[in-house]
Amino acid sequence: MTGHGSIVLIEQNCTSCMICARECPSWCITIDSHTETVVDQPAGARARTENVLDRFAIDWSLCMFCGICVDECPFDALEWATPQALPARTLTALTHEIPDLSAH
Amino acid sequence: MRWLDWYGDGSTIVVDIGLACCALEFEAATGLVPAVPGAAATVDATRLAAGGRVVVVVSGTVTDRLAPAVAAIVDAAGSYGGQRPTVVSFGACASSGGPYWDSYAVTKGVEQLVEVDVFVPGCPPPPEALAAVLDDISGRVAS
Ligand code: SF4
Ligand code: SF4
Ligand code: SF4
Repeated sequence: MTGHGSIVLIEQNCTSCMICARECPSWCITIDSHTETVVDQPAGARARTENVLDRFAIDWSLCMFCGICVDECPFDALEWATPQALPARTLTALTHEIPDLSAH
Repeated sequence: MRWLDWYGDGSTIVVDIGLACCALEFEAATGLVPAVPGAAATVDATRLAAGGRVVVVVSGTVTDRLAPAVAAIVDAAGSYGGQRPTVVSFGACASSGGPYWDSYAVTKGVEQLVEVDVFVPGCPPPPEALAAVLDDISGRVAS
């Protein structure tokens, strides 16, 4: 069984929809994204844009490991993982960015 | 507040500032100490061996009302052992205010009061995390 030691981000599933960040009771998820125009559209189609994720960070010093973000993500982009989020010597080191949050 | 002789040899005296739920995990961690006589026994500061260190563990929510008392305990702990104590912030509340960071009454992390050496994530962190941090601080290899 997967433990509840940390949360991993499956980056390619994330649509930057912000639902996890808004539902997080501790407000410890930070997301930055921008929109890009979709280029390979069929001729005559209306222009479309899509979100591109720039930053996804979880502040483990604030996280209460409730799993609400994992449950609420409509795109299965967040998952529990067994390895424990490790102690750090500074508070800033407890904010983990996309590379730290990606499954190993 | 209690002083505990973590390894039973006076090398590491742990000062326990238990303020909320995380204090239960501190309590559970005392069951993980090496099985030697006197380990995790409640002592007074005179038990500190020469060259030993004092480790203050803040576990739980620090409120602005309590903040001066927490700072005073860390100061007082420094007067034993002749150096500032190692300070461990155990759990989300102690580190940043945790789920209550937005409350008017809650201190947003014990680092606003005293210098902190290690921040342990979790709400609460598992007892094993505290045992490992203390093993690390005292130069023992974490099991
Ligand atoms: S587990 Fe809970 S507190 Fe932690 S990031 Fe997810 S929603 Fe926020
Ligand atoms: S809820 Fe899921 S898809 Fe939406 S931003 Fe969060 S991780 Fe990405
Ligand atoms: S971090 Fe969580 S478990 Fe620890 S004292 Fe705060 S609310 Fe309680």
